[in-house]
Amino acid sequence: MTRTSSTPIDTRERGWAGGRLGAALGVLLPPLAAFVVMAGVWEAAVLLFEIPAYILPAPSRIWVSLIKDGGSILGHTGITLFEAVAGFTIGSCLGALLGIAFAYSRILARGLLPYVIAANTIPVVAIAPIIILWFGHGIPSKIAVTAFLSFFPLALNMMKGLQSYDHTVMDVFHVAAASPWQRFAKMRLPSSLPYVFVGLKLNVTFSVIGAIIAEFVQADRGLGFVIMTAYRTLNMPRLWAAMLMSAIIGILFFALVALIERLLIPWHSSMRDRVRG
Amino acid sequence: MAGAERPSPSPGEGSGRQAQVLCEDLQVVYPGEQGAKPVHALQDINLEVDEGQFISLIGPSGCGKSTLLRVLADLITPTGGTARINDHPPRTARLNREVGFVFQDAALLEWRRVLANVALPLELQGVPRAERQARARELIELVGLKGFERSYPRQLSGGMRQRAAIARAMSTSPKVMLMDEPFGALDQITRDRLNLELLELSQRQRMTVLFVTHSIREAVLLSDRVAVMSARPGRIIKLLEIDLPRPRTLESRETDAFERLARTGVHVLEEGFGVS
Repeated sequence: MTRTSSTPIDTRERGWAGGRLGAALGVLLPPLAAFVVMAGVWEAAVLLFEIPAYILPAPSRIWVSLIKDGGSILGHTGITLFEAVAGFTIGSCLGALLGIAFAYSRILARGLLPYVIAANTIPVVAIAPIIILWFGHGIPSKIAVTAFLSFFPLALNMMKGLQSYDHTVMDVFHVAAASPWQRFAKMRLPSSLPYVFVGLKLNVTFSVIGAIIAEFVQADRGLGFVIMTAYRTLNMPRLWAAMLMSAIIGILFFALVALIERLLIPWHSSMRDRVRG
Repeated sequence: MAGAERPSPSPGEGSGRQAQVLCEDLQVVYPGEQGAKPVHALQDINLEVDEGQFISLIGPSGCGKSTLLRVLADLITPTGGTARINDHPPRTARLNREVGFVFQDAALLEWRRVLANVALPLELQGVPRAERQARARELIELVGLKGFERSYPRQLSGGMRQRAAIARAMSTSPKVMLMDEPFGALDQITRDRLNLELLELSQRQRMTVLFVTHSIREAVLLSDRVAVMSARPGRIIKLLEIDLPRPRTLESRETDAFERLARTGVHVLEEGFGVS
């Protein structure tokens, strides 16, 4: 399991101080420049070596394909995004509840944790057909697949987060005669948020993948459907356009969660800076 | 907000003049793990601390200094004897908010500003927002953190974080303040300054303080009495009366009387090591 989110890059200080626009440009300009260069080399290579479009379409052809049936691809993108967000939300909420139960009941955790970890390793391509069989042909079955994928990472991270509180802080709450609910709401839950966001960021990726894979298995709309049909007709520019859109919704969704994280736990990443000195 | 734990009605209230902190034959034995011998963390602790007294506990690591404070704060249940605070068992005293605790680690909530951190115990008690914030502001000024109300803990130095922790412990106006090596992790200069301020604070607020430290000089400077402890079993081997005149300053440490007391303390400590 990868944890790309656990190495924070702290741009906050620069972002708020004075030259906010300059800072934004400083962040955006290098990848933009790299994009232009890569697209240019790509375009030139396709022209120069006369690479056929079904092997590698030129960026311009992908762009034309995107513009030409933009409305259609945008509609499919919206459906996939909806499935991903809905599944993400449902799966994450249910996962959080199970994580809370695990953190508070050792017996429950001992009994069920091995199965949760095992279930977490099931490949989505194996489970998707089963779930679609259960939930039918429509959008709900796609949501169920993404919810399934989002469930386990959050259950595990929520449990770990709730167990990761500072024991001296717990003593402070004890001496102050805090109720169990106060300990949860004012101490354990806030302490768990860094872990929760590790889980949520994993789920962002999983939910987009999950929605598209579910659409592969069976669908009449969505980006997975577009990719499958484009592949069957060897309409590679359209396939690349769909792939581009799936990357874009993944990035936007991730950025949204990362923004919420920054707003909710500004204390965390900089706390790590302090520890590292 | 769900109510915090409620104190149970306390028997024997107001039964005459009592020591504010009282330990009688107090004993804490940890069961040995897997065949190992049980550990006598505390044995036969008899201690009386009167209101407004400052008493230091000093001794080698593992002598049970912290355990004693944790018993008084109801963080550990003793296996024998009794501990009483204002003639209440520790649990009642804790639920009545009669006890404040300052740990070696400031243990502030990183996601709260200083003001909300200091006001935390009052918030847990259900004190209305305006009232608890006013009280927190008072205390923040008292411990010398005025101007940092809106800072986050990570923006404070170690000494400032500990000041905030002290203010937080004082917020419910506890009668007894338990301090477990509160300045142990600080540099010498910060430590001296906080010692000085604690001297003044404890006098002015007439707090009863039980103060755990490794430094005999710190103990002598601050205390009315120093309880020297030995390890395994953890027991009090000597109670030193510190009769240095008050008010004391850092210069009190340069007097002959101070040196004599510190030397005595060191000797007793060394004897304690010999016993164990």
